[in-house]
Amino acid sequence: MTLFKQIAIMLSIFLLIILATVLTLNFQSANKSVQDRLYEDAKNTATSLSLSLGNANGDISIMSTMINANFDSGYYRNIILIDVDKKVLYKRETETEVLNIPKWFLNFVNIKAPIANANVSAGWSQVGILNVQSDTTYAYKQLYSIFKSLLISFAIISSLGLIILNLLIHTILRPLKEVQKQAAAVIKNEFIIQKNIPYTKEFKDVVLGMNNMVSKVKAMFDKGNEELKAHKELEYIDQVTKLKNRKYFIDKLPSYLKIDASSKSGVNIILSINEMGETNKKLGHSKMNTFLVNIANIFTQNTKNTQDAVISRMNGTDFFILLPGYSSDIALEITKSIKTSCIDIIESLNLDEEKTSISIGIYEYICTDTIPQLLSRSDNALAQAKFSHSTYIEKSSNSLEVMGKEAWKSIINLAIEKNKFYFVPWSVIDTKNKKLDHHVLSINLTIDKNTSYSYAQFMAPAIEAGLSYKIYKNILNLLFKTPQIVLKAKKYALRLPLEYLEATNSYNEISSLLQTNAATLPFKLIIELPDKLVNNNSALIMQYKKLFDMYNIDIGIFEFIGESDDYQYLQNIKPVYIKGEGNYFLTQNTQSLSALRLITDSVDISIIAVGVVDIKILKELQKKGIELFQGKVTEDLEI
Amino acid sequence: MLKSKVFILLLSLFFVPLALAKEPYVEKPLLDKIVTKYNVFAKKRFFYLQKSLTLANEKNDLEKLEIVNNFFNEVKYLTDIINYKKSDYWATPWEFLGKDRGDCEDYVISKYFALKYLGVEPKKLFFTYVKSTKFKAPHMVLTYFETPKSEPLILDNYNRKIFPASKRKDLTPIYHFNGDVLNQIGKAKKSHKKWDQLKLNMKRKKI
Repeated sequence: MTLFKQIAIMLSIFLLIILATVLTLNFQSANKSVQDRLYEDAKNTATSLSLSLGNANGDISIMSTMINANFDSGYYRNIILIDVDKKVLYKRETETEVLNIPKWFLNFVNIKAPIANANVSAGWSQVGILNVQSDTTYAYKQLYSIFKSLLISFAIISSLGLIILNLLIHTILRPLKEVQKQAAAVIKNEFIIQKNIPYTKEFKDVVLGMNNMVSKVKAMFDKGNEELKAHKELEYIDQVTKLKNRKYFIDKLPSYLKIDASSKSGVNIILSINEMGETNKKLGHSKMNTFLVNIANIFTQNTKNTQDAVISRMNGTDFFILLPGYSSDIALEITKSIKTSCIDIIESLNLDEEKTSISIGIYEYICTDTIPQLLSRSDNALAQAKFSHSTYIEKSSNSLEVMGKEAWKSIINLAIEKNKFYFVPWSVIDTKNKKLDHHVLSINLTIDKNTSYSYAQFMAPAIEAGLSYKIYKNILNLLFKTPQIVLKAKKYALRLPLEYLEATNSYNEISSLLQTNAATLPFKLIIELPDKLVNNNSALIMQYKKLFDMYNIDIGIFEFIGESDDYQYLQNIKPVYIKGEGNYFLTQNTQSLSALRLITDSVDISIIAVGVVDIKILKELQKKGIELFQGKVTEDLEI
Repeated sequence: MLKSKVFILLLSLFFVPLALAKEPYVEKPLLDKIVTKYNVFAKKRFFYLQKSLTLANEKNDLEKLEIVNNFFNEVKYLTDIINYKKSDYWATPWEFLGKDRGDCEDYVISKYFALKYLGVEPKKLFFTYVKSTKFKAPHMVLTYFETPKSEPLILDNYNRKIFPASKRKDLTPIYHFNGDVLNQIGKAKKSHKKWDQLKLNMKRKKI
């Protein structure tokens, strides 16, 4: 219960007790006053009537008449004249019925009118004693009216009191609300600095303390961000041409050489400057650098219209241009243009075209190639190009398909129609705490007992056939609508590819699924988003974040290679973890990794190494401070 | 054996009068205060009052009436407006005898409480408002009814002797009340304004 509620309840009870006490005392006072009045009226009547009766000289008939006159003109319960021997000389009595007063009130109040008496004499002789008792009917009516008025006043004063009390507590505790917001923000790793410093000393100290703490954490994050940016520039950028370097190329390749890559195939253009040493001698260091920059500009200029091109300087003489999704025919056209532009530059520098020349090889890869395969086949294409003095095209010897395109299309369509996709959980292990962190969901396509295909098998043809959107739509329905049937653990992560997230209807579909089913999901869900989508901080990603936050779904980031210009997006998106290839973390230098740890620790993000296949690599990663692992190695870990 | 019986007898002779002795009409602490406020003559008056009451204690009602009436009728008459600067004030017996002054109600009150002290039944004593035909003025006397139906005796400060009502042609009865009847209502309720105030002053030992 919040402090506000506790104080409000306590003070409200206190206020109501005070008001109820005042109400009770008021009513008791009114009750006493009415009863006193009843007696005083009776007493006055007894005295004045006894004086009058004294004039009757003991004549009972005159005295009876006098009593009748008094009784009829006033409100009396009874008037009784008793003689000196205690015998009743005359008596008038009325049984009154109290009308329009609830019975509970009559029982609750129970007015007893006291009997007033006075001596009656005739001359010097005593006649007896006159007893007079007032009628309580009027008193009940009066008291009931007072009671109603008091209740109405009580209700009005209570309501006003409670409203004023509420406003007062709100005003007094407003700074606490701000402090609470700030504390909640700290829990969510948000850096909010409170500008309005409260007047109340205790709150002021807390706010200043929290501001100080938040400032320090923010400074830590900013420092990590700056350091990582600086390291990334040194690590991934060629200092002469400002193109990406070999390391970047190698780190980036896994996102293109995977079964569910957005492009099933592509080309890698390898360009090499021949006789670089001679050229350098002739031009000198400064002009040589200008020459290289101009060459780099030609590469950039000629690939500006191609999507996702990765241009890297692999070493002093060789350049790679990776064009995912493009064929060798287009690559050939691009290389022609590049070659022409390069010859122009060579001529403009009066260099010997026989010696200073460009050799171009093209390797047409497919997404199932490994990185060594792509590099060696690219080298081979370049060697052939140099040997033949012409552009050489080499094609991948791997094959994507065990079945024909149409057969795959038919199977996948059938699976979509009949809901034949099933989840296969893979473990992510926390080696520090020796426990399972969560499961990552992979998907199998199982037509029947004997026909089952893994994600690696069916996804590439599915992308080829343009069916990946439909597959993810199907498995999201499966996950949200029947989670209890297939999933028993506490935490699952589902990876959503870029193509699905960017599709026009995806946001609305996910939103609708969450609205209907998120509340009943029997496990904690983490949606993994690709770093490529997240790191641009787009409106779309913020829209997804808002949606997932609303339904208490965490965000994870996969394919992290730290290629962003600014890591502020990690603070904005606040993922629970970032997943990167084990090899990526292994090749990071100590400074880069420290800077990354500074960022992730300051906003409470875990780092998970994926694709870790053996214990040896796991141990090396552990030495770099990484404790969470995904991949084949988890099968050998005991928890 | 004989010696012990004699000892017990002597002891009883010593203690029995103590046990039978009545509380004084005015207790010592109150008497000290009266002396402080008034003077030593006041103390003397209370001493004589106590002496008269002790004397009357063993007498019958009529003799008690006589002694009490005579004693208080020695006090000098003085109107309330001079005595207390109030038009009408009912003084306690201590104020009345302390000042040695009072009006007709003060005589009646002091006589009433002295008689009550002496064991006269309060139901026989009435405060009676009368008209004095001699002085053509309202007046109050204490009336004593041997039985409810018997002729009352009048204890008056104008006529110092006690007479049956029929002998007091100078007085016309108007109204009377009895303290006992008024007290039946209980302490919390009001019964008679002057009587209630007097009871309160008595309780507070007003001097």
